[in-house]
Amino acid sequence: MICDQCGERSASVIVKQQQQGQMVERNLCHICAAENHSINIAFEQDPLAIHQLLSNWFPNAQASINPVRKEIATCPSCGFTFSKFLRIGKFGCASCYDAFSPQLNEIFKRFHNGNIEHTGKIPASYGTTLKIKKEIEELRKQMQISIQGEHFEEAARLRDEVKVLSAKLEGGIQDGS
Amino acid sequence: MAVERFLQPHASSWMANDGKNVDIAMSTRVRLARNLNNFKFPYAFTEDEALKVDKEISSVLLDKGNELDYTFSHISIEELAELQKEILVEKHLISPYLINSHHSGSVLLSDNEELSIMVNEEDHLRIQSLQSGFQLQQAYKIANELDSLLEKNLSYAFHEKHGYLTSCPTNVGTGMRASVMLHLPALTMSHQIQRIIPAISRLGMVVRGIYGEGSEALGNVYQISNQLTLGKSEYEILQDLENMTEQIIQQERKAREAIALNSPVVLEDRIYRSLGVLTHSRLLTTEEAATCLSDVRLGIDLKMIQDVDMSILNELMIFMQPAFLQQYADKPLQPKERDFARAKLFRERLNKNGINSEGEDLA
Ligand SMILES: [Zn+2]
Ligand SMILES: [Zn+2]
Repeated sequence: MICDQCGERSASVIVKQQQQGQMVERNLCHICAAENHSINIAFEQDPLAIHQLLSNWFPNAQASINPVRKEIATCPSCGFTFSKFLRIGKFGCASCYDAFSPQLNEIFKRFHNGNIEHTGKIPASYGTTLKIKKEIEELRKQMQISIQGEHFEEAARLRDEVKVLSAKLEGGIQDGS
Repeated sequence: MAVERFLQPHASSWMANDGKNVDIAMSTRVRLARNLNNFKFPYAFTEDEALKVDKEISSVLLDKGNELDYTFSHISIEELAELQKEILVEKHLISPYLINSHHSGSVLLSDNEELSIMVNEEDHLRIQSLQSGFQLQQAYKIANELDSLLEKNLSYAFHEKHGYLTSCPTNVGTGMRASVMLHLPALTMSHQIQRIIPAISRLGMVVRGIYGEGSEALGNVYQISNQLTLGKSEYEILQDLENMTEQIIQQERKAREAIALNSPVVLEDRIYRSLGVLTHSRLLTTEEAATCLSDVRLGIDLKMIQDVDMSILNELMIFMQPAFLQQYADKPLQPKERDFARAKLFRERLNKNGINSEGEDLA
């Protein structure tokens, strides 16, 4: 769906407006929505006022996405409900991510240009194997960039790093741990 | 008290005028948002938990900070006076959100003010690394080293698929927000900035004016930062931002050349008028000061103005704000009185021989 205002970007926000006594629904992209003063989006803390956007994406009347779960989903650890999450736009704890997980992909996609998976840094304590796998992926990407930029020395250095990491990974698996 | 040294009107090292492309890119900031695994996030935790989080994080930093050759001062927000809090905000060392928090929070500041770690802001940890000029990789490197040190001693909330878990869904993943502050007078004057901003937004980055809420950024200073934190690694995010910033810098240079070529006298007149305002006014509003600072800055870059030190301008941008002015005047000031104090401050800092700075009291 294309944005009603700029006719350029894809629409990601449904804005309900009172116009001459009538409720009008407009489909806006995140940028036009942010510029739209009638929905009072404030810029202080975040690039976009999250709760405003969330409640526009999931208006109460339009509980189309898994309506039952939406009502009952409660985080067992902090007590946040999914409705509360939508209202304030923030999670209460790490467990909220599991408790609300059926809806989260949709939300992350909208905030992160369709992306839902983390591909960056991993804490060392989190698991060496996963860390090494992701590091190799990352080094390969950097290697592609170096080759495209004709930085062959850098690419060779990265390739050696991948080799060392791959060996480490195999070693780890052989240890049977 | 530990905070005193940070309240002084001396420039932090990130305000110094050095680093790559510093004539256009004024400063670089990288922020990492992190949370501890065993505590509720700040929107849900109790005061008791807030205190424990603060204790856990600050004890690690105070103990191990020197492994990275940094010495940190721990400052509890509650213990600060209102004015002191505001000064730290004006210096970009803490966020306004932290001082308005309902819970105990603190900030750990490195002696050189390049690293600032806020505890119990929107997340348990906000690691902020500041650099002068355009130095994304360096700013990230420092933040990342500190992050790795903390991670060895703390258990972070991390998810295999979602990455670093944060209070806000816009930070999840890398938890990283990297930004560069750009001075873009020529792109603003030539109205090209309006075309550039939407193009940047389409590529998953955001542009914001620094002070103003209007369409034109106050003092022609813009901040460009990444919006995505999922689906790209820190390395890719920094690469994209770096490439985009380099392009904007090139565009700004071209626009400056065009203006200097097409209307040299008009430009020169504007720059010298602004210098006159800054060095001779008796009343100076924030808006006027910001506009004139921008012009004089441009004048220095274009070598029209030779005898003004750029780093003084960087300092003045910070010290012309309300809390600093009140510290400078040593009393609370009404808005009108601030304009007077601001004008006095500018005259004192910019007139080397102090011609205009004698015999005046702050009424
Ligand atoms: Zn639009
Ligand atoms: Zn929760």
